[in-house]
Amino acid sequence: MKQKLTSSVHIILLLALTVASLTGQSYPGKPKIIRCRSLEKETFSCWWKPGSDGGLPTNYTLFYSKDSEEKIYECPDYRTSGPNSCYFDKNHTNRWTTYNITVMATNNIGSNISDPQYVDVTSIVQPDAPVNLSLETKTSDSIMHLLAKWSPPPLADVGSYSHVYHYELRLKPEEKEEWETIPVGAQTQYKVIKLQTGMTYVIQVRCMLGLGEWSEWSSEKRIRIPNGESPPEKPTIIKCRSPEKETFTCWWQPGSDGGHPTNYTLLYSKEGEEQVYECPDYKTAGPNSCYFDKKHTSFWTIYNITVRATNEMGSNVSDPHYVDVTYIVQPDPPVNVTLELKKPINRKPYLVLTWSPPPLADVRSGWLTLEYELRLKPEEGEEWETIFVGQQTQYKMFSLNPGKKYIVQIHCKPDHHGSWSEWSSEKYIQIPTDFRVKDMVVWIIVGVLSSLICLIMSWTMVLKGYRMIAFILPPVPGPKIKGIDTHLLKRGKSEELLSALGCHGFPPTSDCEELLIEYLEVEDSEDQQLMPSHDNGHPGKNAKVIPKETDSDSGRGSCDSPSLLSEKCRESRALPSTLRTQDIRDIQDKKGEKRSWQTQCIASEQETLLFNNENTKSSTWPAAQLPNNQPPLFAYHSTVDAHKIALSTTNVNIAPVLVGSEEKHHPQYPITESVRDDMEKQREMENLHSKTDQTTVQVKQNRPDDKSSFLNPELMDYVEVHKVRQDEEPAVLLKHKENSGKTEKYTVPGASKEYTKVSTVVDHNIIVLMPDSHIQHTSVSQEPAMEMSQNLQQGQAEKSMSYCLTVPSEFKREASGSEYMDPSSFMPSFK
Amino acid sequence: CHTAGMPTPNGKEYAQKIPREELTHLILKLLQAWKEPLSHFNQHIEHHQELPDDSLSKAKQISNMVLELKTGVEKSMGIISNSLNGMASSEATGLSISNEANMMSDSDFIHCFRRDSNKVQSYLKILKCRIMPENSC
Repeated sequence: MKQKLTSSVHIILLLALTVASLTGQSYPGKPKIIRCRSLEKETFSCWWKPGSDGGLPTNYTLFYSKDSEEKIYECPDYRTSGPNSCYFDKNHTNRWTTYNITVMATNNIGSNISDPQYVDVTSIVQPDAPVNLSLETKTSDSIMHLLAKWSPPPLADVGSYSHVYHYELRLKPEEKEEWETIPVGAQTQYKVIKLQTGMTYVIQVRCMLGLGEWSEWSSEKRIRIPNGESPPEKPTIIKCRSPEKETFTCWWQPGSDGGHPTNYTLLYSKEGEEQVYECPDYKTAGPNSCYFDKKHTSFWTIYNITVRATNEMGSNVSDPHYVDVTYIVQPDPPVNVTLELKKPINRKPYLVLTWSPPPLADVRSGWLTLEYELRLKPEEGEEWETIFVGQQTQYKMFSLNPGKKYIVQIHCKPDHHGSWSEWSSEKYIQIPTDFRVKDMVVWIIVGVLSSLICLIMSWTMVLKGYRMIAFILPPVPGPKIKGIDTHLLKRGKSEELLSALGCHGFPPTSDCEELLIEYLEVEDSEDQQLMPSHDNGHPGKNAKVIPKETDSDSGRGSCDSPSLLSEKCRESRALPSTLRTQDIRDIQDKKGEKRSWQTQCIASEQETLLFNNENTKSSTWPAAQLPNNQPPLFAYHSTVDAHKIALSTTNVNIAPVLVGSEEKHHPQYPITESVRDDMEKQREMENLHSKTDQTTVQVKQNRPDDKSSFLNPELMDYVEVHKVRQDEEPAVLLKHKENSGKTEKYTVPGASKEYTKVSTVVDHNIIVLMPDSHIQHTSVSQEPAMEMSQNLQQGQAEKSMSYCLTVPSEFKREASGSEYMDPSSFMPSFK
Repeated sequence: CHTAGMPTPNGKEYAQKIPREELTHLILKLLQAWKEPLSHFNQHIEHHQELPDDSLSKAKQISNMVLELKTGVEKSMGIISNSLNGMASSEATGLSISNEANMMSDSDFIHCFRRDSNKVQSYLKILKCRIMPENSC
């Protein structure tokens, strides 16, 4: 079975392969890693050779892992080293780890993985070959030897390691095949002896780093060993330089010396002269050089310089070299590079870098002017920052990071034609870090202080939270009504409200009647005081003056609107009961307060009975009309008042104020009282009526004289009583009267008050006031007397003289603090 | 160069030895010698279409600078009376010089001008450090 299985598997595989091969497409072949190499132990590259690509485009990915770790990484750079390669840069190269590298080839069909390659960076180091191989034959003491010189391979990145290469040299005669390999060591030159003359040799050199591999062999260099019979080769002049624009030196490179000791002579001639001179000094500047001192240096002249090599067999002359000393100046690097840390007060410390020009350069005389340039970089950094300084010999550095180490170098150049000097030796700068400490201390102190402040503030907030809030967000003030405390209103305690208003002891007790009458006189001046004549011991209260109300629109509209009548009716129904209770209480409790209450009432009525000017609706106050300027009098709206008015015989033009003569009664106090006096009043009213047109409905009774002084007769207005019915519903019908211009100005400051005239008495002793002619009253204006079907007699019980403002503490509330009573609110109470 | 005939110090020592006034005179002579050839040169190269515009403007700029430099040196040195003498003599030489200058090739012309301007610069610097040694000397 097994065999069958395996054979069947084989068959299937074969089929698949054949199919694949037929179609020409299959999964890719296995790639192979050819080589991994590191140039300098800090980076390395790997190359692979792809397998067959299976007919489809194939992607190659290289994976590696380190040591024995599980994690697999992918090649960081596929490009730098060419196709099919992976370059590991410094960051990815660790010379101490062994890399396990595999390459995977993927195409649409499948993938294939190469065998893993274990790479140890140190072992795969193979530098580039050395460069600049130069050969020289030298004959000394009749011995010919070959001097080979070269340079180590150049590295793109020098790095921080000094690489020590080991070199190896191999040579062979040109015609032969076998190489002779000579280990050289770490030097970059070698003297080869035992060479056959007359032969041409081929020489190569290679190097190695540490334990790695040998580099490739450098390119071949051929040299012919002179057999001692030929003249020397032509030397070449390398360069000429002047360090200070006063002298200059020239160097040359000799060729092969042809087997014999060779002399070299330098010859020159100046521009415009025929004379040829020989080099004045061969020694000062070293071998193969010529030094021209000051005497022999001329500026702005072109030198024609040649070098001749002479030996026994002949001589050879180099090519001429033309040089104008002015343009070949290359100074020495600057010297005396010093750093100084300067710490000015109140400013950030900075570094001052100073240097001196090279000693030979004569800058003092102005002959040579140097320009300087410096470069610096952080110690660990890679790139230099070059700063051109100009002709000054100092530089201030402000923007260095404290605590870091920097390397700085300077070089110079003549300000005109010339070349830059070598860089000065490296100078290290270390910024002291104490600045930071200072800053830190400051910051710490600041932090501590601010946290303390925050703590204190939060503590005070906690303790006096709302006070602060109140300080920050002051509460919105509510409407202010003179005499009425909204808080009291809210609380709903009419007692207090009344007391605030000045009405004490509401309702007044029975013996208040006379007093009330007295106190019904309402003054038109602000500071009038109602003097209770029968004060029984509450002088203070009586004397309380309620200031004139000034705001004329404090919600009176609602009170006065007839549309609200129903509302008020409803509410006022509740009133009497409350009134009663209050009255009882008041009367019982506060005997003496009645007077004050009276006065207060009056006084308050003064305020509140000012009819709303703005109220466009008819004020249905049955109060008698009041003169405009008059301080509010009284609108006692109860018919009782009307009665009283009617009954009043004095000529004081007091608006019918329903005196609270009823007040001395109990709950229905005003009413009952009035009931009693009803007949009287009716008679009086009739009397009134029978009198002249101008019926003064007097509120005041009994004591007109005293009060008259208070009153301003001409300011008063009065309503003519239309008729008084004495039938079942006695009512005072007040005529409509034109407001004939009795709008004298009051001395009362504040809003002008208007008083409406009584138009009708409705519904049980309710005097409906005539809306002012100049006020657009819409409702109730011309109610005929018919509507006044209220019987005086009736409803007495319900008559609340609660036109006294005291009553409607509730009303007040809903009137939003209006100081005026809305008589309409009382209307239903009479029912 | 057409100014090769002029005796000018070839080295630092020589330049330092010469008294100030003579050095100034020398400078002015040099500048004067180049006045005309420069203008000729400018006219000459304007016809060269292949030169970029920068070169033309640069050449003009240089000629102006030379003139300004001459004027500046004269003023700063306060040489007025002497210059008259100098002018007379230099004018004579200038004519012959300018003739020579016309015959030079462009590259020679530029080469000569470069050299002479370097000379003038060096002499001026020496003068400056002699007169005012404080500033960067």
